[in-house]
Amino acid sequence: MGDAEKRPWVGYAFLAPSLVGVVGFLVAPVVVVAVMSLYRWDLVSPARWVGTANYRVVLTDPALIRSLAVTALFVVIVVPAQTGLGLCTALLLDRRLPGSVVFRAIFVVPWISAPLALGVVWRWILDPSDGALDALLGQRVEWLTSPGLALPAVAAVTVWTNVGYVALFFLAGLAGIPGQYREAARIDGAGSWQTLRLVTLPLLRPTTFFVLTTGLIAAFQTFDTVYAMTRGGPGGRTDVIASLIYREAFTSFRMGRAAAMSVLLFLLLITVTVAQQRYFRRRTTYEVA
Amino acid sequence: MRVLLRLFAVLVLLGGCSVTPEKDTGTVTFRLWDEQVARAYEESFAAFTKQNPGITVTVEVVPWADYWTKLATDIGSGTAPDVLWTNTSNFGLYADNGALLPIEDPQRAGWTPSVVDLYTRGGKLWGVPQLWDTIALYYNKDLVTKAGVDPADLTWNPAGTGDTFLPAARALTTGNVYGFNASLDNQGVLWDFVGSNGGAWQDGDAFVFADRPKTVEAVQYLVDLIGEEHVAPPAADTTTNGDKTLQLFTQGRLALFQSGPYHLRAIHEGASFPWGIAPMLAGPAGRVSVVHGVAAAASAATRNRDATGQVLRWLGSAEGVRPIAEGGYAFPGVTAAEPAFTAYWKKQGVDLRPFLDAARGTTFPAPVGPRAGAGTTAAGSVLEQVFLGQLGVEEGLRRAQSAANDAIEE
Repeated sequence: MGDAEKRPWVGYAFLAPSLVGVVGFLVAPVVVVAVMSLYRWDLVSPARWVGTANYRVVLTDPALIRSLAVTALFVVIVVPAQTGLGLCTALLLDRRLPGSVVFRAIFVVPWISAPLALGVVWRWILDPSDGALDALLGQRVEWLTSPGLALPAVAAVTVWTNVGYVALFFLAGLAGIPGQYREAARIDGAGSWQTLRLVTLPLLRPTTFFVLTTGLIAAFQTFDTVYAMTRGGPGGRTDVIASLIYREAFTSFRMGRAAAMSVLLFLLLITVTVAQQRYFRRRTTYEVA
Repeated sequence: MRVLLRLFAVLVLLGGCSVTPEKDTGTVTFRLWDEQVARAYEESFAAFTKQNPGITVTVEVVPWADYWTKLATDIGSGTAPDVLWTNTSNFGLYADNGALLPIEDPQRAGWTPSVVDLYTRGGKLWGVPQLWDTIALYYNKDLVTKAGVDPADLTWNPAGTGDTFLPAARALTTGNVYGFNASLDNQGVLWDFVGSNGGAWQDGDAFVFADRPKTVEAVQYLVDLIGEEHVAPPAADTTTNGDKTLQLFTQGRLALFQSGPYHLRAIHEGASFPWGIAPMLAGPAGRVSVVHGVAAAASAATRNRDATGQVLRWLGSAEGVRPIAEGGYAFPGVTAAEPAFTAYWKKQGVDLRPFLDAARGTTFPAPVGPRAGAGTTAAGSVLEQVFLGQLGVEEGLRRAQSAANDAIEE
């Protein structure tokens, strides 16, 4: 220890492998995007400095406003649903019934699968003429092309993908709660609902915070599922922000505007995360014993 | 800034796991997106190297999904291939920014004229025609015989006079069989209907379709085939799955399928019933087929101009493109090599004359301009609603047009 303090570079040398990764793949791209948002660049001709012009254009672009609204609606459906269902699943699996280990694995399968592949499979399941779901319902429902159904359908698939992953975290959280708390509650005469509400949920707060924060960020950045299922249609009803940024960058080749949108999304996510953290900090205890 | 851009380019390249090797003199790189046709090029370049022992050509395939993104970043960072495949909607951006070398070649007379037109921009030619597509009508022989329809001479007319197509489509639609593939298929259906009604899509680079009554009329006719007449599969089926109509045809659930030679192989391998190819549907303005072509362009950043020029000359010769024709992949861009392609399909019992006739008749150019792809994508998301019946045709076309023109704006 004493040697390392005298020679700080030893510490940095040990850090170097991961530092290279963090700087090269995290810090540098963020800086590049921030700088790029001040230029006009189509990837081919030389970039031109335009100052804050990209931001002015982007912030008054109705497409961005609409896309933010679509994204917000998507987040509002997905995050509570996947957190709630994930918690329920975890509570069920926590009972350690025979086979629950197998179920635990099965629930995570969608999450480890490629979202693009899942999107293609679901597009096929939801096909109005030959799809499995409509055959099961015995009724023709145009899930992905009806203005009112497309976003809920894509959101449902996203929730289905994430539930197992969320449940895994809750399971770990539940395992961390010593049995005597719940036992004491039971001896004091609390029913199972009261135990859940007054004992288990408060002790799960660190887990809930983590699951909500990462879930929210992931939901804001959703791209693959939408791309595979609807490409933003019908009429922009599923045109989430990541999909808009992709189009701006790689079909319109307006890298500066796409970068400006990315920076705005970045700022938005930081704000939301900080707000969440404030809320939970007041109510969370990491101490169990 | 330059450093940052370079860095960005490097990051993108790292992301694509691509390493472009140092170019030796005498090595020319050639890039395309089609793995099948790449085999034909390997064969072609083997013959080329035999005639030009000093030059070897490396063929690299970049899948379609990444092709334009990767090309743009490669050109931006100076690591572009020497010769590259391009389509009509993408070359404009590079031509306008001096990233391509204009083609000055005396062989031009032997190339497919409509493809030469597509790649002529600002008075210069920017690519050597490699292959092309026109449109014709695939038909299911069993179904047309049963319905008593002659697919060879079908005419549609929005005014109703002399419309022989609609009654035929109605007669062909029975049970789970649809008569015709009316859908938001730009190349195979939409633009052909617009052209055959005497309408226009673009004027120069700008989109003008909503301002042309003939275009509006043609789109209305198409949309009615789906929503009113029900002689085509519901738009909900065809908009989320671009291959749906092809699948329906090969399953024997679609009688008439207007499309290009790019589906020959899928139909040949997939259809278990007798089928044929008829001329595309005629409209009030006759048969006007979309013609689309792929060309080989040269990067202006090539470090090996002489060798690159020689490769381009080879690609513009009949020997150069013959493997593409002989392998049955596509109509070659050099007229003299055409018979090899038609001979390949004749051996399989398929007569390609309707495609050739379409190429020689009046044609409708595929979209051009530096951001034509972006314009088409932007229009497409609104047109989707028009075909789904969620937006009226006139209102929808107006919105689609302004979306498209916004998207191509600098």
